[in-house]
Amino acid sequence: MDSVAWIILFTPLVSALVITLFTQPYRKLSSYLSVAAVGISFLFSLIVFFSPDGSAGFTWIDLGIFQVRIGYLIDGLTRLMLLVVSGVGLLIHIYSIGYMQDDAGRSRYFGALSLFMFSMLGIVLADNFIMMFMSWELVGVSSYLLIGHWFFRSSAADAANKAFLVNRIGDFGFMLGILLVWSATGTVAFTELTHKWSSLALGSTFMTVAPLLVFCGAVGKSAQFPLHVWLPDAMEGPTPVSALIHAATMVAAGVFMLARTFFLFEHSPLALGIILWIGLITSLLAAFMATQQSDIKRVLAYSTLSQLGLMVAAVGLAAPGAGIFHLFTHASFKALLFLGAGSVIHSLHHEQNIWHMGGLQRRMPITFWTFLVGTLALIACPPFSGFWSKDGILAASQGNFPAFCAIALVTFLTAFYMARLFVVAFLGHSRTEHAEHAHESPRVMTVPLILLAIPATIAGLPPIASLFWRVSGHEGSPATAIIVSLVAFVAGVLAGFALYRSRDKDPLNIPLFEYRFYIDQLYDQLVKWTQDLLAGICGFVDRWIIDGGVVRGLSGMTWGTGFALRFLQIGNLQAYAFLFGLGVVVLLYFILFGVP
Amino acid sequence: MSFPPALLELLVLCLGLALLLVESFTEKQDRTLLAYIGMVGLGVIFLILQLLPPGPTGMASYVFDPVAIFFKKFVVLTTIIVLIMSVDYATTIQRFVPGISSQAGLGEFFAIPILTCAGMMWMASAIDFILIFVSLELVTISFYVLVAFMRRNASSLEAGVKYLILSAFSTGFFAYGAAWIFGVTGNTNLVRIQQVLPALGAENYSAILFGALLVLVGLGFKIAAAPFQFWVPDVYQGAPTPITAFLSVGSKAVGFIVLLRVVQAFQSLPPVGDKVVAALIILAAATLIYGNLAALPQTNLKRLLAYSSIGHAGYLLMAVAGISARDSGQAVVIYLAAYLLMTLLSFLILIIVSNYADGDEIVNFNGLSQRSPLLAFGLLVAMMSLAGVPFTAGFLGKFLVFKVAYESQQFVLLALGIITVGCGFYYYLKVVRAMYWQSAASNGATIPVSGLSFATIVLLVLFTFLLGIFPQMATGLLR
Repeated sequence: MDSVAWIILFTPLVSALVITLFTQPYRKLSSYLSVAAVGISFLFSLIVFFSPDGSAGFTWIDLGIFQVRIGYLIDGLTRLMLLVVSGVGLLIHIYSIGYMQDDAGRSRYFGALSLFMFSMLGIVLADNFIMMFMSWELVGVSSYLLIGHWFFRSSAADAANKAFLVNRIGDFGFMLGILLVWSATGTVAFTELTHKWSSLALGSTFMTVAPLLVFCGAVGKSAQFPLHVWLPDAMEGPTPVSALIHAATMVAAGVFMLARTFFLFEHSPLALGIILWIGLITSLLAAFMATQQSDIKRVLAYSTLSQLGLMVAAVGLAAPGAGIFHLFTHASFKALLFLGAGSVIHSLHHEQNIWHMGGLQRRMPITFWTFLVGTLALIACPPFSGFWSKDGILAASQGNFPAFCAIALVTFLTAFYMARLFVVAFLGHSRTEHAEHAHESPRVMTVPLILLAIPATIAGLPPIASLFWRVSGHEGSPATAIIVSLVAFVAGVLAGFALYRSRDKDPLNIPLFEYRFYIDQLYDQLVKWTQDLLAGICGFVDRWIIDGGVVRGLSGMTWGTGFALRFLQIGNLQAYAFLFGLGVVVLLYFILFGVP
Repeated sequence: MSFPPALLELLVLCLGLALLLVESFTEKQDRTLLAYIGMVGLGVIFLILQLLPPGPTGMASYVFDPVAIFFKKFVVLTTIIVLIMSVDYATTIQRFVPGISSQAGLGEFFAIPILTCAGMMWMASAIDFILIFVSLELVTISFYVLVAFMRRNASSLEAGVKYLILSAFSTGFFAYGAAWIFGVTGNTNLVRIQQVLPALGAENYSAILFGALLVLVGLGFKIAAAPFQFWVPDVYQGAPTPITAFLSVGSKAVGFIVLLRVVQAFQSLPPVGDKVVAALIILAAATLIYGNLAALPQTNLKRLLAYSSIGHAGYLLMAVAGISARDSGQAVVIYLAAYLLMTLLSFLILIIVSNYADGDEIVNFNGLSQRSPLLAFGLLVAMMSLAGVPFTAGFLGKFLVFKVAYESQQFVLLALGIITVGCGFYYYLKVVRAMYWQSAASNGATIPVSGLSFATIVLLVLFTFLLGIFPQMATGLLR
């Protein structure tokens, strides 16, 4: 048991090191190594899945007051996440072999992918905040490397920077939150914290502020409003990366973290309310934005944002179980959708605009059908997996009417924009040369699609879902929730079909949605103003205080000293001895007569 | 094991004398062989030290506690690495030492550091002012010879004279201070002094404080604390580089162990102990400011390292000034261990590069990353560690020193320390910039590195990281 968890965690690290240090020139070997590593992690995750709870660890750094422990904590949450991360990870690694076969930087790609697996599994296994935070940062680094994999394209390099910097903001809050929690309780271990936090007698301000700072980490990593701007740009990375990191696993880390540390939040209604509305605002904004995008990956990216918003909202509704259940189903169907999109992009020679596609159902049957499955799961069509998990969230919001309405609206919008995407990209006639000559992708890519379609279909069914995760009360979810969700779904699909069937261009034109509520522009301006302001201040300080005062003062002093020393030049040595003696006299005088 | 620990110093002394004899009575023998014999001999001493448990010695003036063992290992290791450097430096020595044969004087250059080592080992165990004084003089006198060893090099000679006179000056203060302390307490033994002090009447406080401060001055010279540091830049630059490394690591380390023991002894009398701490705070502050600010404009790496060694003395003094904190001694020990690794690493690479480029200016390191990636990487690690980048040994040392300063509530020193660390980044990264961002000068060939130096560099780099990543290794040094 003990070694199993370590094998899961460290095999990908070994692979990342070996690939980076030794097998860089052997691209094929590197990719197989990386796949083998994640395969081992997956096998051992299966073992863990059938083993009892446990935890163990060792102290890595011990400096008395400051200790860093590396330890794992296995409970229901960890088991499920291990399976999701390593399972989806394995399929996407395999898919990558096909997708990246012509890429010169394949070794680099697989090295970074292994590093990502290590860090993500580190977050999942961590039994304390410090280890989680370190893995959290490593995930940020590997995400940066992978988004910027094609760094010679300036858009990719910019997107990588943006993702890293925006996450920095959230992580800063996260770190402050961890420090606050630590200083209040004296521990960072989750099990210990659970007991100590509830018995903490501190003011309600502290009990709200500290959890909200921790939540900042989730806002950054799970791309919640107002830090959501990095995720759509992150689609500049290779599509398997988008599927693994920016849809299925890493962005879900924020939700996982909230569930893991839910004990911090449950005592503060205010914190929960803020989390709920951040989640809902993200979900709504992203759903609106998705209706007007024409890049297939961007539509999926906004839908990811929207679904992440729902998961965060579920935590805010004090139902983290429902959020994690949605995370679980979402991981499979969203990875499926992204890989399907990747398959289309691959065969259409890197065409990503849905208005340049069309008529793909005959030319790419496997991609077509599996994509359909993913779409149905995402838009919550019964009995696909997404229906059950979204219904759980909707049911949890029953007591809160505004939240209930917002979730229903998101359900409608999701059905609408996915119907639009599906109709435009796959049905009708081919609109371009490339789309006409499309052909099915190689088997190394289609097999993962088929394998992912299975959980996307059945994972939500109550008898199967209960094997993985126990969500309270979703079998008995009230009829209103089911009826509302069905109505929203049918209305959305019908609207999408009616508007977009056999169209060659978008009949709707809503710039506000297309330009993402102008939030990115606002940030750009804001950053520019702040930068100009800071630059102005720095310039002033540099020119007038440092240059004028310190440097000229110092150089004057140096020159003066040099001038003075010139008189002692007769023998440097005498000068030294003189100064030495002077030092002794001054020291003696100060201590014997000066210090009280 | 009934091996008397004090025998170790005698063994080292005999080793040095034997090498001198071999030097005198053989003519054709390759002199570098002597250096290798010295290294092996010291390696054996190191192993014995590793095996010997701490315990009573039966002598009043000589202790064999974990601190003493640590410092003995420290100086033995330093001496071994200095000998490795000296072999690389032999060509320069030959150029500046007149003689009939081409290797004249080399044997002495290899043998004398071993005598110095014996002195330092004694100092690590000495708890009596008389033994401290004698061993201190053994160290200092052998350094007079070593610093001025390159007889045809004016700056080496000048450095030797400066070191001789100023060192004698400081020794005078030390002896005078010890005499005052003896006069008041009737003892030269630190343990006894510690016992006797609390019983002293208040009329003696000024006298005992006067003596303590004079001893502090004498030691302040050894550890290069401002304002007794004036000799450092000139002597460090003029001396043969391996000797500079030896001065800046070995001589400083034993200075600190004596300082720790003396300051500790005076803590038993708070009215005096507090003022000694106040003096240490003043010295630490002055040293931090002087060392770090004066290093800013340097363009010569050897001189830069001299100023940086003053700066590091400042951080170490911070830890000594925090003697009231529980981990003060531990912080000094770990900081010195880190300091040994990174300073010797810098000097080793400096010797190799400057031998080849015939100069130790920072510009000689331009483009080193392209010419010799290993040397550049080694110096990069050394500079990172000296500056205190996390996951290097230097960071661990600074972390512990700052922790001690925080716990003993020396907030002014703490603030000063943090600011000067910022300065450190500036001048250490200047070297990194030269190696990695400037293009190489005309001389663009790979620099040859001997196998022994190569292995030493690799080991030093490795341990710099190991100490930084697994700090328990360091905290275990004293157990």
